Amino acid sequence: MKTGLYISGLAHAALILWLLFGSLFLARDNEDLLQVSQVSILSEAEFAALSAPEPVSVAPATSTNAPARPQPPAPEPEPEPEPEPAPTTPEVAPADIDRVAPEAAPEPEPLVEVAPVVRDPVTPDQAGDVTQPETQATAPEAATTEIVTEVTETAELAPATSARPHARPNRTAPTPEPEPDPEPETETAAATDPLADAVATAVAEATEPSPVPSGPPLSQGEMRALQVSVGNCWNVGSLSSEALGTTVVVGVEMTPEGRPEIASIRMVSFSGGSEASARRAYETARRAIIRCGATGYNLPSAKYEQWREIEMTFNPENMRIK
Amino acid sequence: MKQITKVAFLVLALGASACTNPGRFDNMGGAGAGGAIVPGSAADPSSPVYFQQTVGDRVLFEVDQSTLGADARDLLVKQAAWLMENPDFTAIIEGHADEQGTREYNLALGARRASAVLNYLIDRGVAPNRLRTVSYGKERPIEICSDEACYSQNRRAVTVISAGGLTS
Amino acid sequence: MSLHKTLNLARKLLLVALAGLAFAAPAQSEPLRIEITEGVIEPLPFAVPNFQAENASAGEMAQSIARVVAADLAGTGLFREIPSSAFISTVTSFSSPVQYADWKAINAQALITGAVSVGTNGKITVKFRVFDVFSQGQLGEGLQFAGSAGSWRRMAHKVADAVYSRITGESAYFDSRVVFVSESGPKNARQKRLAIMDYDGANLQFLTDSSALVLSPRFSPTGDRVLYTSYETGFPQIFLLEIANVGRSALPTPNGNMSFAPRFSPDGNEVVFSLENGGNTDIYRMNVGGGGAQRLTSAPSIETGPSFSPDGSQIVFTSDRSGTPQLYVMSANGGAARRISNGAGRYNTPVWSPRGDLIAFTKQNAGRFHIGVMRTDGSEERLLTASFLDEGPTWSPNGRVIMFTRESQGASGAAALYMVDITGRNLRRVTTQGAASDPSWSPLQ
Repeated sequence: MKTGLYISGLAHAALILWLLFGSLFLARDNEDLLQVSQVSILSEAEFAALSAPEPVSVAPATSTNAPARPQPPAPEPEPEPEPEPAPTTPEVAPADIDRVAPEAAPEPEPLVEVAPVVRDPVTPDQAGDVTQPETQATAPEAATTEIVTEVTETAELAPATSARPHARPNRTAPTPEPEPDPEPETETAAATDPLADAVATAVAEATEPSPVPSGPPLSQGEMRALQVSVGNCWNVGSLSSEALGTTVVVGVEMTPEGRPEIASIRMVSFSGGSEASARRAYETARRAIIRCGATGYNLPSAKYEQWREIEMTFNPENMRIK
Repeated sequence: MKQITKVAFLVLALGASACTNPGRFDNMGGAGAGGAIVPGSAADPSSPVYFQQTVGDRVLFEVDQSTLGADARDLLVKQAAWLMENPDFTAIIEGHADEQGTREYNLALGARRASAVLNYLIDRGVAPNRLRTVSYGKERPIEICSDEACYSQNRRAVTVISAGGLTS
Repeated sequence: MSLHKTLNLARKLLLVALAGLAFAAPAQSEPLRIEITEGVIEPLPFAVPNFQAENASAGEMAQSIARVVAADLAGTGLFREIPSSAFISTVTSFSSPVQYADWKAINAQALITGAVSVGTNGKITVKFRVFDVFSQGQLGEGLQFAGSAGSWRRMAHKVADAVYSRITGESAYFDSRVVFVSESGPKNARQKRLAIMDYDGANLQFLTDSSALVLSPRFSPTGDRVLYTSYETGFPQIFLLEIANVGRSALPTPNGNMSFAPRFSPDGNEVVFSLENGGNTDIYRMNVGGGGAQRLTSAPSIETGPSFSPDGSQIVFTSDRSGTPQLYVMSANGGAARRISNGAGRYNTPVWSPRGDLIAFTKQNAGRFHIGVMRTDGSEERLLTASFLDEGPTWSPNGRVIMFTRESQGASGAAALYMVDITGRNLRRVTTQGAASDPSWSPLQ
């Protein structure tokens, strides 16, 4: 029992740490949807040279052989964009007035803002979403998990694309011990990690004697069904290649009906990319959980305690450009 | 006197335009202006037209090659002889490639072919300062089909005779 | 300690913590852990309702801008537009709350709303927001652009650029231009002239007339100058053209018969190019303004098609020193070169990607042409296209898309511009007026 106390102490410390760092992954909940960062970035003169509406036909220039010129491209562009005070509409609160150079749009989000998790008390089942047309429940439109190019269609030179490997059922086997570290890093070799070993043992010891009143663990088939359901909505087609190299672990709490509590969705951790790419990867994962869970995942309600909290590791390794 | 200079100038101008008109690549045949032994016509052995039509102005190359075959060398011997007999003319040797290659590589390949001809003519005694090369790569095919029948005609070096100097 | 390590530690501690909790409160179970490795690749469905016209004179422009934004996004192949005929709710005001349920119902995953107003001075203001419909939140904050009415297309492209990067996490390429060769006339007497247009084909302008053959224009890294090869003097020679005033001048290259295949250095101050002398073509570099010429290769073989790495330290080029054209990489100061292309066939026109990780090239093999990409060490070669004649890749500013020339076969063959994603998906033709070849993509403006 001494060990138990020790571990319990550590646990509390860890929880505190978790609260500290975990907050990194909780979205700002005070996001004002109506905030507009007012930026005026394009000067009139800047475009003068480019704004010829029609293809300009060329007139012969001075010498007979000299190429003709397009329409005289107007006054010299002023180098600096004149910052135009943007008209402020009453309902648009001018927050963070940034003067942005004519580069692209800024990424104003602070690092801590992982994603705009809306602290919306309205859960889908209360919002009348259930009565929405079945479109939500239908499978996503014809999509592909393989890339067929002109080249692959033709020759023997084609990059060999093969069917995607089937899921590795071993990984998801409903063993009572926790998954090794779900991060796809090399350190996943939990067997060599004494800490993880100790934890696994501890958990195993802890769970064995005390019967959990939540039914047996999910069967392999039930786990697989959940994986497929979420995967069906996990659309990585619009991710940057860096985000496609980023694995995110997303935590979610489920309602007894098998729907995700939107407000509970959070990024637990990420690996293999920058904050920014992790944010995009997380947004995609979050969208997958919400979309395909809108009508509830097919989970055995008798085992609710087993899946009340889920941590999903979204590992796009197999989805990367090959 | 005035008239004569005008006519001479006109003839020169015509000759020059025959060399620089981009359309010349598709009419290798009828450049002559007609008459029987009109100076400058195909019947005049010292005319560029005679060189083009009777001596032969082009040699062909194998795929990717710039080496001169036996036929090409025979022809270049005749070209060199003509150039030696007509010392008032200069020549620009145009190198060409077929369309089976990328633009810039084919420019370099055309230059290599033109240079092979130039070096051969120099070896046969033509003064280097009367010769210059230019490459058109695949920009100016003479045959326009996409078969070897056309490609073999397009992989060529053409010796273009002109009366003027070789300034660029 | 990096954040990542911190997280790892935090995770481990959490495991311990959970183990402890298991003792303390057996009912508190572990979260269920699953790994998702198989998703789908499909275009993300988005909706762009017409932008709000905030005053009467903005009506037409509000509609046009929304259309350009939608076309930009859909054109990437990463997004799919949901037609307005499917919309359930309409957006009546830029500031009114979004009816998420209505957009969810039609499976719009991203919603872009915007408003346009025209000022008394003819200036227009465009503002927009992006919503993640299923997460019921905004992606980033709203943004606003102002500019002249004549530049409305650019402002639309800027909106699309911002939307693209908010969803994908990488920069976009919509507010960019392409300089290319506009072609006309029969195959054996082709007329060519330089032209410039927006990346999507709009706003075409000619930069030269067709009195002289012009080849292979190349944008400067700042997008204001172009290097190209012209037969203006009768012999191929590199010219430098200022886009703003269309002034051009011959590059004062070292003496040689023919100079061609120019490309700017990443800082825009230097040019790397090919110079032919006595039938032999080698690679040189020099200052754009003249001087500082340096010969980088000296082999009897053809060396051409040089392209700098984005950091300016290396140059990739084509050489047929092995017997066929292959790709090599050398220091930007010359010296030993290592061959990077290893497959069967001939490799030409290498171009280093703006991200620095890939090299695009033209490959010719077994009677077909391909545009392909490989890593800079030559590994992971991937062919993206196949046709009778593809050549001359140029990278989009974000390194995600490649534009190139595709020429059709036969006597009536003509050149056109095509784009393809570096995954090989979304191959499509770029709209141009008439035949076009040799595109060069500008940086993002």
